[in-house]
Amino acid sequence: MTAPVVSVRDLKKIYRVHERETGLGATFRSLVKRRYKDVPAVAGIDFGIEPGEVVGFLGPNGAGKTTTLKMLSGLLFPTGGEAQVLGHVPWRREDRFLRRMTLLMGNRTQLVWDIPAADSFLVLKEIYAIGDAQYKGTLDELTELLELAPLLHKPVRQLSLGERMKVEFAAGLLHRPEVVFLDEPTLGLDVSMQARIRTFIRELNRRSGATILLTSHYMDDIVALCRRVIVIHHGRILYDGALADLAERMAPYKLVGATLRGGARDLSAYGQVVSDVGGQVKIRVPRAQAAETTARLVRDLGESLADLSLEDPPIEEVIDRVFSGEQLDGTGGQRELAGVAR
Amino acid sequence: MKLLATYRALLVAQLQQAAQYRIQALLWMLFAIIRPVIFLAAWAAVASTQGGSVGGFSVGDFTTYFVCLTLVTHLTMAWNSHEFEFEIRQGRLSPKLLRPLHPLHYSIVDNAVFKLTTILPLSAVLVGVVLTFGARFDTQPFHVLLFVPSVFLAAELAFMFTWLIATLAFWVTRMRTANTLFMRASFIFAGQIAPISLVPDWLQAISYALPFWYMLGAPTEILRGSTTLTSSLLIIGAQAVWLGLTYVAFTFAWRSGLRQYSAVGA
Repeated sequence: MTAPVVSVRDLKKIYRVHERETGLGATFRSLVKRRYKDVPAVAGIDFGIEPGEVVGFLGPNGAGKTTTLKMLSGLLFPTGGEAQVLGHVPWRREDRFLRRMTLLMGNRTQLVWDIPAADSFLVLKEIYAIGDAQYKGTLDELTELLELAPLLHKPVRQLSLGERMKVEFAAGLLHRPEVVFLDEPTLGLDVSMQARIRTFIRELNRRSGATILLTSHYMDDIVALCRRVIVIHHGRILYDGALADLAERMAPYKLVGATLRGGARDLSAYGQVVSDVGGQVKIRVPRAQAAETTARLVRDLGESLADLSLEDPPIEEVIDRVFSGEQLDGTGGQRELAGVAR
Repeated sequence: MKLLATYRALLVAQLQQAAQYRIQALLWMLFAIIRPVIFLAAWAAVASTQGGSVGGFSVGDFTTYFVCLTLVTHLTMAWNSHEFEFEIRQGRLSPKLLRPLHPLHYSIVDNAVFKLTTILPLSAVLVGVVLTFGARFDTQPFHVLLFVPSVFLAAELAFMFTWLIATLAFWVTRMRTANTLFMRASFIFAGQIAPISLVPDWLQAISYALPFWYMLGAPTEILRGSTTLTSSLLIIGAQAVWLGLTYVAFTFAWRSGLRQYSAVGA
């Protein structure tokens, strides 16, 4: 068995923030005595990532995703717990570690604004001590994959957001990192550029075998790239497992789709009707009763049933339910989420 | 070897950047000249009303002092703390921290490029001042020889000291006050108003005890030839000690600061 590339044990990060009430009195009081509050951003998480895996890190804003990525890339010291990436403790920020990983943030630039990217690349070549042959090979490959040729010699400030993201990707990958942390890599990009970046990430993983941990608010990114997801909320892991199993674990209901001949009909006796448009009805039924309900529909509706389907709820809906801290029990009621371990 | 290659690449990139902001660089250089020239004009006026000299300093002596001071000010200028606060607040430090190169190196090259690109026009202006006011140099060959390490140490000391102040940004959001304090202290104690031998004894004593004079006044005095060989060597020794202390303090503050760093906005 290979050793995990990333291993995290009981990792915690607590931010200490200055708290102040509104109003003149509170403002004066804060001049003399400041009040601080501890905000746990990451409240003790454990996971491991094997070499070559592409893992999606999901969570709403403020869930602790970016804080975790920053700790794993060595930008932040944790408040407690342990982590190892490629056998290094990230926050020691040893050169040997920094040479083997990258963190790319969708909304941040690491290139020099006023000069062409090609010149920034030459600086990175020296900083990472990349040999001439490897540099040329990698740059050619990245130029081909990301279609960089027309962009390399323009000052970075003249590039569009999408073009800049592609160049940022190249800058972060010139040293062929073994571990790639991606924080919202498609943020703010149009649909076609998002698709290109996704294709690129998939190709990067296939060609270089790099281990990738990715956060994104776009479920399309996750669905396209990650077989495994880690769902984090309020600094705790709610789910760690196959994306395909997420719906089963987190949403204990299924959607039955019935196409009816001869117009509308009330099917509320079979479950909660979520939509009814032109004889196409969608019914939410408890997962355990899904097979029985479909059998009943076939039996009861007979000839008037033109088509029948049984599917998991859309992943966006599942995630939305998870983030809002609730879980449907199949009948419209709610119950508390239980922690799910991998 | 690796660091040299990195410096060369950074130098090329920074020069390209500097080439786009030539006017700005030139203006910064002129701002740096204005203050000492004003002081020179003021002291020259005072000297002429007092029979040609003040405390043994003739107009020519003042010219020499302020010309040397302007050159040293230019060569030892350090402005990193302002940028560092901005970098922390805007999250721009993070990409640098992710690379296997200390963020200090980017500033060193940035600093050097500004000085390299403006030294020629500055020298031309200074030659003009020398000719206009009639400077009088007592500089011996050993002064020129010792000026080189002294101005290097002064530049490094000023650079490290501003970085030491800059590390405060890890703990406080706005640190402009700390910078202002540094600039005010430098104004009073570094010899910017007048040569140190013209200020009261108690102010001289304080100036010798603090690091600011070693960043500006010390190499200026060596260059204009007012020091003996022994005193020049003592000054260089004191500069080295201050640099060592500042470096140790910076290393400690940097390490503690990084533990504190919250990488906001990045």
